[in-house]
Amino acid sequence: MAGQEPSKNPRGDDADNPPDTGMGMTAVAYLISGMLVWGGIGWLVDRWVGTSGIFAGIGAVLGIGGGVYLIVRRLGV
Amino acid sequence: MTGQSIVLAADVPFPPSVEDFYLPSILPWAEHDNYWFTKITALVWLSAALIIIFFLVSYRKPQLVPTKKQWFAESIYGFVRNNIAIEMIGPRGVNFAPYLTTLFCFILLNNFWGIVPFVQISPNSHIAFPAFLAVISYVMFIAVGVRQHGVVKYLKTALIPPAPWFILPLLIPIEFFSNFLVRPFSLAVRLFANMFAGHMLLLVFTLGGFAMLNANAWFAPFSVVSWVMTIALTFLEFLVICLQAYVFTVLTASYVQGALADEH
Repeated sequence: MAGQEPSKNPRGDDADNPPDTGMGMTAVAYLISGMLVWGGIGWLVDRWVGTSGIFAGIGAVLGIGGGVYLIVRRLGV
Repeated sequence: MTGQSIVLAADVPFPPSVEDFYLPSILPWAEHDNYWFTKITALVWLSAALIIIFFLVSYRKPQLVPTKKQWFAESIYGFVRNNIAIEMIGPRGVNFAPYLTTLFCFILLNNFWGIVPFVQISPNSHIAFPAFLAVISYVMFIAVGVRQHGVVKYLKTALIPPAPWFILPLLIPIEFFSNFLVRPFSLAVRLFANMFAGHMLLLVFTLGGFAMLNANAWFAPFSVVSWVMTIALTFLEFLVICLQAYVFTVLTASYVQGALADEH
């Protein structure tokens, strides 16, 4: 087919990630979802406790921290 | 003069709105606002038919030295198989190459209607079509993961990152949100928004030219500039069309790869 053989490289886990595995998208998704999930939970806590936004703020910061941590663990070397 | 220009301007609806995406029914016996069979519906059926017929015809009598049509069909399949499926997923990617090729061709052709002269609207500028394609890919990569690992182990691989236990409660909701909620949503919205915005952009520049001309005859040179911009943007749209078909396919392949991968 079109003269190209499929590559013979086995893809074990220790092999490198193939280039451009949509890693950029994954990283952005982690950052945004971290902020949204924990910011959202914080917002709910705010509504429940009756504060005006302190928990949403803490949640967003924690969430984005978690997102960065996940990027490092899942996508880092 | 003023009255006339108002009448003329009334002919050209400017600025374009979301209403411009809801085309009237093309069934001669249906009412005007009946949406069961519109240009969009016709284009989707036409795309499906064209793809089926093209691949059937080009593979009917395969030659060792391919004919032009066969060469073209094999190039498309070879491109998706080698540069998307195998590159992303590895040797097992060959199993997914037929689906990915179909997906790629279908999205590419449907997007391409957006710049075909006198057709110039892409079915993918309606959220329903990208959304359904995203649902297919979503169900597929989850099913692939479950078949590969079993439900419990798949959820464990997908949701539990390698991290100390005390930080897991913070991370698992993020993983769930980004793997199972953001993925299908972003697949669908990315394609839809690009096609929607592309059509809107072309409408703005085309109709804007008429609107300026109608507002004041002295604006005619600017109208010409606006129409030249339309042509330039059509070429830009061509780029977006190919890119979005590619991105959708690559991301699907990457999600499948993620579902197949063992935990690291």
